[in-house]
Amino acid sequence: MNLKNDELTKSINTVGDVFVKDARIKARNVNVFYAEKKAIDEVTIDIGNKEVISFIGPSGCGKSTFLRCFNRMNDTIDICRVEGSITLDEENIYDKNVDVVPLRARIGMVFQKPNPFPKSIFDNVAYGPRIHGLADNKSHLENIVEMSLKRAGLWNEVNDRLISPGTGLSGGQQQRLCIARAIAVSPEVILMDEPCSALDPIATAKIEELIHELGNDYSIVIVTHSMQQAARVSKRTAYFHLGKLIEVGKTKDIFTRPQHNQTEAYISGKIG
Amino acid sequence: MSKKFLNPADATAIVKKSIKKRRAKDSRLKLYGRFAVGLASCFLIFLFYTIFEKGTPGFFQYYVTLDVNFDKERIDPKGDLSDNSLFSGDASKIVNEALFILIEPKGRKEKKEAKKIISSGKDVRIAKMVKQNPNLFGTVTKVKFALDDDIDSFLRGYIKRETPENERRVNDNVIKFIDKLNAEGRISYNFSDYILSGSASGNPEMAGIKGAFVGSILTLFVCLLIAFPLGVATAIYLEEIAKKNKITEFIEVNINNLAAVPSVVFGIMGLAIFIGIFGMPRSIPLVGGMVLALMTLPTIIISSRAAIRAVPPSVRDAALGIGASKLQTIFHHVIPLAMPGMLTGTIIGMAQALGETAPLLMIGMVAFIVDVPNSVVDPGTVLPVQIFMWADFAERMFVQKTSAAIIVLLTFLISMNAFAIYLRKKLERRW
Ligand SMILES: Nc1ncnc2c1ncn2[C@@H]1O[C@H](COP(=O)(O)OP(=O)(O)OP(=O)(O)O)[C@@H](O)[C@H]1O
Ligand SMILES: [Mg+2]
Repeated sequence: MNLKNDELTKSINTVGDVFVKDARIKARNVNVFYAEKKAIDEVTIDIGNKEVISFIGPSGCGKSTFLRCFNRMNDTIDICRVEGSITLDEENIYDKNVDVVPLRARIGMVFQKPNPFPKSIFDNVAYGPRIHGLADNKSHLENIVEMSLKRAGLWNEVNDRLISPGTGLSGGQQQRLCIARAIAVSPEVILMDEPCSALDPIATAKIEELIHELGNDYSIVIVTHSMQQAARVSKRTAYFHLGKLIEVGKTKDIFTRPQHNQTEAYISGKIG
Repeated sequence: MSKKFLNPADATAIVKKSIKKRRAKDSRLKLYGRFAVGLASCFLIFLFYTIFEKGTPGFFQYYVTLDVNFDKERIDPKGDLSDNSLFSGDASKIVNEALFILIEPKGRKEKKEAKKIISSGKDVRIAKMVKQNPNLFGTVTKVKFALDDDIDSFLRGYIKRETPENERRVNDNVIKFIDKLNAEGRISYNFSDYILSGSASGNPEMAGIKGAFVGSILTLFVCLLIAFPLGVATAIYLEEIAKKNKITEFIEVNINNLAAVPSVVFGIMGLAIFIGIFGMPRSIPLVGGMVLALMTLPTIIISSRAAIRAVPPSVRDAALGIGASKLQTIFHHVIPLAMPGMLTGTIIGMAQALGETAPLLMIGMVAFIVDVPNSVVDPGTVLPVQIFMWADFAERMFVQKTSAAIIVLLTFLISMNAFAIYLRKKLERRW
């Protein structure tokens, strides 16, 4: 097959199983606009309980945009407008009376570039519990910080320098610190936008292992450019193209026998 | 393919050929830069040299030492050390007598001339001394008195002996007296008591900058108290909270324009609003500070906004992503990171305000005020205005005092900047 791009964009409907049985998040007919430009086009998908799902697709297809809909980070962009509905446990998160503060405590986010606060390692992890009032006292807070760092696989490397700046860690350590910071507020869902793109293979392997483990307790949505990574960490994979959700399915099905010709073209390296 | 790529060898040759030209350009640019920096440094050194050279003598003046007989009956007739009693006493006369013993003037005319040698602040000095130390009563103590400014100028050589007597401000008799005092070793050149602790005065030898200095501090204090919170709050609102629309755009443009408005316009505005409409008194540091606050606001707002914009968006994302509210994000992360930049802007604004004369002239801070202001609602003046006034006076001594006041102003400015740098370093060290 040798398809040109304009031919590829013609089909609209999503192929595969967009719905799952025990869905936590349900996105229905979501459209996202940047000013007049449509970045996400009629996307419908479920995200299951304790499921790790990857979003893949060529650059600029709207993966980040769609991911940021789940914790309403798009609200911070003035020109961005979201249509359709996204529910978390049957509650529409775009409802007028929904407060984004508790929502973002329930749906944590890890960004592409590690972004620790310019504060100490301890304060980085403690910040979330502090602002949400999750710790009863100092020792409880210390306990939360320790648990989070342990879960993020960082404890052994930093336990002797919790008061040193988080920005002084290596890139991979910083990213794990950000993951520790996200899980310190006990979220239900974790969104990760290309969490390993700035890291070397060893740090990447550590984070992937971590995602794998966290998948036992959290629903995780991960955006990635690496199909190997998607294959390693996720059970389900969604393929986006030019703002549309083209195909969703079991990861191994997507990579071994994609049903849609665009998916096939992408994973065989013809687009993207 | 329409155009072929160069082959690598040709490309290398071309690059090599152009390298010499580029190097020459580089070094030329470096040279220009060095020249500019050198020139600027020269000017600066020249400026500082002249100011210090001219100003340092302003901190000193000539004194005469007299043996004063502290007669309690005559100095403090009521015996209670009150101002009333001390000033009804005979202090001036006692000092004159001490002087006359040394120079022996003959006749009324000579006595009258002799009295003028010593600055008119002599009785105040005696009163101060006995108040501080009543044990002086009954003793004969050596006391230094400032000489009159004309005598001072004569001793400095600005008034020359060779000038014919009728064109000279110091006549032959007085010169004779001074020579006598000099011969007895009574005249000395000392650090001035008045320059730092005195206030505005018609007598140049007694004039000092304390009043203006305190006035400057009070004015700047008011200015800072108003401009800093207001400026930072405006910057935060415009950068972080306000929606970008026509109105905020309009406000932005106007703030930027305000920064370029001549300062005297703010003075006129202050005169019209604070004094005209609100009926506040003239010449007070409170009004001066408010006017200067208006003037420095744009500077603070603009630099604070730049500082806020320089805070990496990733920090904001991190805070928002973990569920911090907008205000928490601003107060926990944006402001602490932007603070050094905000402070820099504020200090620049304050430094501008410290050196400002024109708007303060408009609101009457140019008045001749002898008392040191005790609060922001007492009439006062400020250092640059004091300098402006002194520069206008004819007496030779004011020239030195003007330069001395400029040194004080510069020192004030430099210490303010040093404090700002220290503060910034301290805040920045929190990585
Ligand atoms: N803040 C923004 N303002 C305007 N347009 C935007 C903005 N952010 C993204 N877009 C546009 O929306 C589309 C989707 O962008 P998005 O960042 O979601 O892509 P992506 O799939 O995450 O790409 P990548 O893999 O390169 O990160 C792109 O065409 C992009 O230009
Ligand atoms: Mg992206």
